Amino acid sequence: MANTSRSYLTCIRNTLEAAMCLQNFPCQEVERHNKPEVELKTSPELLLNPVLICRNEAEKCLIEISINSLRISIKVKQADELENILTKKFLRFLSMRAEAFQVLRRKPVQGYDISFLVTNYHCEDMQKHKLIDFIVQFMEARSLYA
Amino acid sequence: MLLPTAQARETYLSSIYSGCNILLDKGVELDCQSVEFDDVRYHIQVSLRYPQFLVLSMSLPTPPPETIFVDGLPFGAIEAIKAAYGVLVQILDPPKDGYNLTMRLDLVQLPQDEELQYDLLEKVASVREVVLGAPLRVVLKHLASKRVPPDLDRLIALVHRPRESFFLAPEADKVTVVYPMRFNDSIDTVLAISFLEEFVEARRTAGLNNAPPCFWSPSPPQVLEEAPTEALSANSGFVTFVIYPRHVEGRKLDRTVWSLLTFHAYVSYHVKCSEGFMHTRMRRRVESLIQALDRAKPEGEDLKKNSQNKSSKRLSLMEIRNNSNS
Repeated sequence: MANTSRSYLTCIRNTLEAAMCLQNFPCQEVERHNKPEVELKTSPELLLNPVLICRNEAEKCLIEISINSLRISIKVKQADELENILTKKFLRFLSMRAEAFQVLRRKPVQGYDISFLVTNYHCEDMQKHKLIDFIVQFMEARSLYA
Repeated sequence: MLLPTAQARETYLSSIYSGCNILLDKGVELDCQSVEFDDVRYHIQVSLRYPQFLVLSMSLPTPPPETIFVDGLPFGAIEAIKAAYGVLVQILDPPKDGYNLTMRLDLVQLPQDEELQYDLLEKVASVREVVLGAPLRVVLKHLASKRVPPDLDRLIALVHRPRESFFLAPEADKVTVVYPMRFNDSIDTVLAISFLEEFVEARRTAGLNNAPPCFWSPSPPQVLEEAPTEALSANSGFVTFVIYPRHVEGRKLDRTVWSLLTFHAYVSYHVKCSEGFMHTRMRRRVESLIQALDRAKPEGEDLKKNSQNKSSKRLSLMEIRNNSNS
C-alpha cells in the first residue's frame, strides 16, 4: 500500500512545493479588502491553472493556485458503505474542530471529501515545508481515520 | 442494567438479594419500578403489613401478531415458572394492571443454606429468561431427546423485542433459529451488517468447530417461507443459527436459551461499543494531526525574526503598541 501510494504522494508534495509561493495581495476591486483570490475568482490574471492529480477514479487531489492563496481538495477512497460512513463521520469531526486546524476549509469543494485553504498569512505564520509535511501526513495514513 | 451480560443479571440479583436480608430482619416499605433492555419492566412491592411477601410484576415487550400468547404470556411460561421456583412463588391471577405477570415471593420459603438461596435468587433475577424463554426451552428440551415437539407449528415465532419476533423451525435432529435484524439508525445498520458478516467468518475458524453453524443473508432464508410478510422486513438481513442436540445437553441448555434470547441485544451492544471505539480513534487521530500542524509553527526566536516581514493585517493591538514604544 505504502509503496504504490508513494509516487502519488511525491507528486502532490512536489506540486505543493512549487505552488506554495504566495504573497500578500490586497483586493483589486474593493479598497481595504484582502481576500483569498482562489475563493473569489474575481480576476483571471491572478489565478494559475488548477492541477488535478489522480491516483485512480476514487482517489484524486485538486490543487488550485492563486496569487495569495492555495486550495487543496482531496477525495479519499471509499470502498464500501462502512468506509463511506467512517469518512463522513471523521470529516464531520474535523470540520467541528476547524478552529484548531486553521488551514482547514469548513466545507469541502463540491465533489471532494475535504479541502484545505492556505493563504499567505498561513505561510508567514508557519514554516512552509512543515505545512506541506502536514498535508502529506494527512493523506499518508493507511486510512483517513485510523 | 442495560447490558445483556451476566453482570446485568448479577446487578439485578444482588439488589434483590441484599433486599431480602433487610426485609427478613425488619419490615421495609418498598415500591420500586425498573426497566430492563428490550422494554421489559419490573415493579417490586413490599408492604409493611406482610414483610415476608415480595410482589414482583413484570411487563413484557408488546408481542407482534404472529407470536402465540396465552393470557398475556408466551406458551409454557406458567409451567416454567412453577418448575423453576417451586413453592417460593405464587402466581397471582389476574396480574396487576399494565403488567403481564404478577407473582408473590414468599421469603420465608427461601432455603436456609447460603448457596441454595443464592442459586434460587439468581433464578428470580433472571425471571425474564424463564418467562420469555419458556417456549424456546420447551423446543430445545425436545431437541435434546431428539423429538419434534408435538402440537406445535412447523415455524414458531417468539417475541424478543417490542413488536419484533424471531423464528424457530424445530426438526427431530436440529432446530433452526432465524433472527430478522432491525436497527433504527442507518449507521447502526451498516455497522451491524459488517459485524454479522464477521460473525459468520469467525465461525469458520478451526477453534469454533463445535459452535452452532451461523449464516447471514440479506434476504429471508427458505425456512421463513410461511412467515407473514410484515415480519420479514429487516434492514440488516437475517441471521440463522442451527442448534444441534449437542448444544443443549445437560447444563448447556440454560446458557443456550439465554444466548439465543438476548442475541439482538448482544449485537446491538457491540454495535454501540464499536461506535464508541471509532470515536476514540478519531479523536486521537485529530489530536495527532493538530500536533503535526503546530509543529509547522516556528517558536520563540524565529517568531521575532519573522514578525518584521509579516503582512500588516496580522498586527494585533498589542504588537502595534509594542512597536510604537520601541
